[in-house]
Amino acid sequence: MAEIKIDDVLPSVTKTITQEKIELFEDCGILDRQNIHNNPEIARERLKFDHPIASGRMSVTYAAEIIRKYVGEDAFYHSGTVNLKYLKPLIQGDTVSVSGSVVSTEQIDAGLLVTINIQCENQNGEKTAIGQGSAVVK
Amino acid sequence: MSEESLKDFVYDDVVIGEALGSYSYVLTEEMLDTFRKAVEDPEARFPTLGVKHDATAFAMVYDDKVGTVNAGNEVEFFNPPIPGKKIIVTGRIQDKYTKRDNPYIVIEATAEDEDGRLIEKLRTYQIKKPEVLGKKWQK
Repeated sequence: MAEIKIDDVLPSVTKTITQEKIELFEDCGILDRQNIHNNPEIARERLKFDHPIASGRMSVTYAAEIIRKYVGEDAFYHSGTVNLKYLKPLIQGDTVSVSGSVVSTEQIDAGLLVTINIQCENQNGEKTAIGQGSAVVK
Repeated sequence: MSEESLKDFVYDDVVIGEALGSYSYVLTEEMLDTFRKAVEDPEARFPTLGVKHDATAFAMVYDDKVGTVNAGNEVEFFNPPIPGKKIIVTGRIQDKYTKRDNPYIVIEATAEDEDGRLIEKLRTYQIKKPEVLGKKWQK
C-alpha cells in the first residue's frame, strides 16, 4: 500500500437510502422490534417525522467501509474504530456521501496509528454525521 | 425474556455501571447477507452493527415507553465474527448525564465469540427525549 500521509483524502462512498435498505438493516437484529426505523407511526409519534429514519449505525458502517478500503482489511478488522456524532437523520430518498481525510499519524508499538476525520453529507450538502475513525497499520 | 419481566425505564433510577445483562445468539450467513444488502457492501464483515448489541441488551432489561434517539456511536473492532459461531454479548450503562437540560445515557456492549475472540465494543449515546432531536432535525 502507498505511504499514508496527513491530509490524504480517502476514496469516498455514496449510498442511496431506501426504506427497503433501512428495514433490511433492522432485520439483522435478533429481537423483532418496531421502532422509529421501521414503523412510520412510531417515527411520527416520537419524532414528529413523516417517515422512519435510517439507523445511525448505517452511517457507522459506511464510515467503516471507507476506512477499511483505505487502510486495508487486516488493519481495520483488528484495530479499527469509528466514532460518529449524528447531526441530521437520513430518510428514504436521501443520498449520503461519506468522505474522510487523514488528520494525524503516530508511530506506536503496534504500528502506525492513523486517525481520520469523517463526514457524511446528504444530497443538499448538509452534514448528517461527523466524527473520527482510526486504525493501526503495520 | 418476556415483556412481563421487563423493568419500566425511569431515567432518574438508572445507575452508571448498571449491568444490562448478557445474552448469546448464533450469527448466521443469512444475517451477514442481509446486512451486506442493507449497506450495499459485499465485503462488510461486521453484521453485529445491525444486531445493535447494546440496544438489544437494553431492550432485554427495560421497557422504555419514552423512546430514544441516538446522538452518536463509538465502535471498536477487534476481530470479524465468524458465521455459525455463537456470539456472547455483555451490556451495561456506561454513563448518564444531562446536557442542555436533556437527559442522556450511554449504553455499552462488548461481544466475544464462543472461542473467546473479542469481536467488537459498541457504545451508543442516547437522548431520552426523542422529540427534542426530532424538532432540531426538522429545522
